[in-house]
Amino acid sequence: MSATQSVAKATTPVASIKRPASTKQDRPQLSRATLHLIWVTGCFLLAVLPHLSSVRWWIGLLAACTAAWRLIVEIKQLPLPHRLVRAAIASIAFAAVLATYRTLNGLEAGTAFLVLMGGMKLLESRTARDLTVVLFVSYFLLFAGFLYNLGLLSLPYMLIAAWLLTGTLMLIHQASPMSIAEALRKTGKMLLQSLPIAVLMFLFFPRLPGQFWALPAQEQAMTGLSDTMSPGDVSDLSVSGKLAFRVKFDDNILPPPRERYWRGPVLHEFDGRTWRRPRYGFVERPLIATGPKYRYRIVIEPHNRNWVFSLDAVTGWPNDARRTADYQLVTTNRAISRLSSFVLESNTSFRTEGPLPKAMEKADLLLPPGRNPKSIELAKSLLAGVGSNADFVQAVLNKFRNEKYYYTLEPPRLEADSVDDFLFNTRRGFCEHYASAFVVLARAAGIPARIVTGYQGGEYNPLNDYLIVSQSDAHAWAEVWLGEQGWVRVDPTAAIAPERIERGRYTGLSDGEFGAGGFLGENPAALMVRQTWDAINTFWNDNVIGFGQSQQRSLLERLGFDDPGLTELGTALLISFVVFFAAISAWLAWQFRPRARDPIVRVYDALCRQLGKAGIVRQPQEGPNDYLLRVVAQRPELTVQINEIRALYVGLRYGPALLGSQLSAQLSRFKFLVNQLRT
Amino acid sequence: MFNSLIARLRRRTRAWARRRHGIDSDPLVLSGRRIYIVPTRLGVAFASMLFAMFLGAMNYANNLALALTFTLGSLGLIAMHYCQRNLAGVKLASAVCEPVFAGQLAKFRIAVENLAPLPRFDIVIANDHSAAAAVRVDANARVVTEITLPAARRGRLALESFEITTRHPFGLFRAWAYLHMDLHCIVYPRPSERAMPPPPLETDTGGAQDSVKGDEDFAGLRMFNPGDPPSRIAWKAYARGQGLLVKVYAGTAVSSHQFDWDALEGLGVEARLSQLCRWIEDAFAAGRAFGLRIPGTDIPPNIGPSHRQRCLTALAMFDEATP
Repeated sequence: MSATQSVAKATTPVASIKRPASTKQDRPQLSRATLHLIWVTGCFLLAVLPHLSSVRWWIGLLAACTAAWRLIVEIKQLPLPHRLVRAAIASIAFAAVLATYRTLNGLEAGTAFLVLMGGMKLLESRTARDLTVVLFVSYFLLFAGFLYNLGLLSLPYMLIAAWLLTGTLMLIHQASPMSIAEALRKTGKMLLQSLPIAVLMFLFFPRLPGQFWALPAQEQAMTGLSDTMSPGDVSDLSVSGKLAFRVKFDDNILPPPRERYWRGPVLHEFDGRTWRRPRYGFVERPLIATGPKYRYRIVIEPHNRNWVFSLDAVTGWPNDARRTADYQLVTTNRAISRLSSFVLESNTSFRTEGPLPKAMEKADLLLPPGRNPKSIELAKSLLAGVGSNADFVQAVLNKFRNEKYYYTLEPPRLEADSVDDFLFNTRRGFCEHYASAFVVLARAAGIPARIVTGYQGGEYNPLNDYLIVSQSDAHAWAEVWLGEQGWVRVDPTAAIAPERIERGRYTGLSDGEFGAGGFLGENPAALMVRQTWDAINTFWNDNVIGFGQSQQRSLLERLGFDDPGLTELGTALLISFVVFFAAISAWLAWQFRPRARDPIVRVYDALCRQLGKAGIVRQPQEGPNDYLLRVVAQRPELTVQINEIRALYVGLRYGPALLGSQLSAQLSRFKFLVNQLRT
Repeated sequence: MFNSLIARLRRRTRAWARRRHGIDSDPLVLSGRRIYIVPTRLGVAFASMLFAMFLGAMNYANNLALALTFTLGSLGLIAMHYCQRNLAGVKLASAVCEPVFAGQLAKFRIAVENLAPLPRFDIVIANDHSAAAAVRVDANARVVTEITLPAARRGRLALESFEITTRHPFGLFRAWAYLHMDLHCIVYPRPSERAMPPPPLETDTGGAQDSVKGDEDFAGLRMFNPGDPPSRIAWKAYARGQGLLVKVYAGTAVSSHQFDWDALEGLGVEARLSQLCRWIEDAFAAGRAFGLRIPGTDIPPNIGPSHRQRCLTALAMFDEATP
């Protein structure tokens, strides 16, 4: 009988459980299904957002349109688009993706396809299962976002997005009522709890060297240097301040600015307008180092080429790179499609041993017949006035220096015979123009010459001792073969604009992240901010993005493992897991331990437990009065305390509601008395 | 095929759990040890997605992608602990089960009580036949759910087992426990068709002859039947919105039916019980007094719901082995 009564009293129909407080009375309430759909749509768009800069614009538009369409359908209570309509849209969009990217086996195409899939699924979403698929696609998009963007800010974005996604996942899988705020709070808590073990897994999970399946990346936009050079066309030399690479020298010994030439591809073939790399390889001539040796680590931003920029000339390199006959360092097996670091050695003074191989000599003397006739005439007349090849080089440099030639990053376009037009008409240009003109003149004079592209200079960051080389440091210079000396670097730009070589950035950059001015006119505060930001980024790149086998190894060594290998990593991982999940389990049990929410009841329960241990167990039917009176009867020495406790408890629990201050005073007195009794 | 395999596996584990834990006490606080947990299909899909992410991240040696994968992975594992903890420590108690007639659905009511200071979500009480709607049990609160079981035959219908399940928080895991409480429901015989007229009223020689004057002892209320004198209608109760009820006086029960097992010569046991059940129901509805006489039980004529219950229970339990 008593059971029936208590059940009847406690019965709470599910429907009457109070709805989330956020829904206001005066606004039409959204149904659960609509609310879920809105959240899932939001999550999907949030996951698409980071890709907008890398996929075609219409992919983003498609995602936005499908999302809007589905929401309108939901809110206006229209029927979902017909199956055939959806199929038509899907196949058109699919065909468009295929036509645009010509493959699905690519990062960008894959992402586009994923966005497409998510949008189409959203358009037909009806059930929680459909919405879950959209959420899973969104998770994947978030993941793919990291394959593009590894910046410092991408991690917090992804974490917040993952939080919202997972909160939504919780929301749509609740059969019992739960507000979105509750879902987000709970998910946030769980996410924070999962971070420690995620970090431990990150630190201890064994890393593999290299890729096991490379997606083609040819579709990606190339940044930085290209492997052709056409002075006179619209400038294809990037003038952005984007980072190209960072260098840290051993013992912090840096070469002087005038020797900071970072060698990239060498261009031999000239068609009168465009310089290209040779189609065939050459035989290498030995390179003999003469000057001081520098040892350094270079961290190269991804540029999707196999070029490893190195201080000219590189003499020591790791196994996964090789030096070409042009003394350029390249990777052996892959393009640099992610942040990569190399430890290199270079000697800034060197000479090459002759004789020049026949094939190379032939290639480096070749001029397109009939092109740039005035320049060839000029070379011949200059050659007539000098005694040696070295004098000829000097004569050309003098001409640039003494006559009216100007250095500018915004030169006019040049005619078909670009060198003629530059030397005799426009007389304005930057490194490409001068290098190109110089090499043409040298070849016309019978001196083997070639163009070297790469970077020149770099900015030293005193905060972390890194030399920062950005895209605006891109440069082109020339090399001539001077008999005994072998290849000699000649930088005609230095003749016309020596500041550029001495100080690094000379240019009047009109845009670029790093702002205008370089060393010339930047105010110290801005410089400080820039350098600090760069230092943080460097730290991020070195310790998070670039965390790999070697860092893992040194970490384990610091933790006390000798010669750490897979076994040690596994052990560390296993220990982390066991400890962590035991802790989580215990913590959860503690959180869910039976306990009244009301502090008064909690303290009273504690008192009852204590008295029970002392031998006076409260019977289930006993109220506080009966029980405590019985306690007093059995333990007369506690009469005063127990009676006060009884009065307080009965008053607090069953008496009229008290004001805040009164309540807290009585409550603390009650707690105090109980605690006193317990000790 | 797959589903039937799962079902068989379930029966096996349930039987095993039954042997392991025996009959559960009522009420019962669910201990963590008897909660089973497996990933759901969604959980498997989630794990596959994470594995694909993991391969991608390792392939590109992309540490941030790897970090995302690990975070989601550990979140999944933490969710597993939350799922189990959502059930562990729940207090389950049964409520009295209202008797039903054979052929109806017996309703078992199970109270789910949360002793913890945190809410529990998405708790489903289910048996092989039915599942209650998922409930949320707030901190220190109690919710009563109802599951049903078809009552095929009269007697004592036992709810052999039921389970408490949750998929909270993400639906990636399903945690459940099998419960074997000693729960049963009395199932009355199915009333037979109205084919056989009830035995004639017998005069109660000991009672007053005059039904109008013999109204000393107020015995209770019963539903109004057409033909009842308006003076007997309980207008006050009608005014309270309780519907048309008729006052019944004990002293007025001048005549009663005697429903006798032996009067149904020629019928089988169940048919007799069904017929007796039909008569009792009709007599009760008409507000007439009746007595029941079956082998082993003799209930003197009386009226009222508890009398009806007593009689019907006697029919239900006829020849049943008392547990």
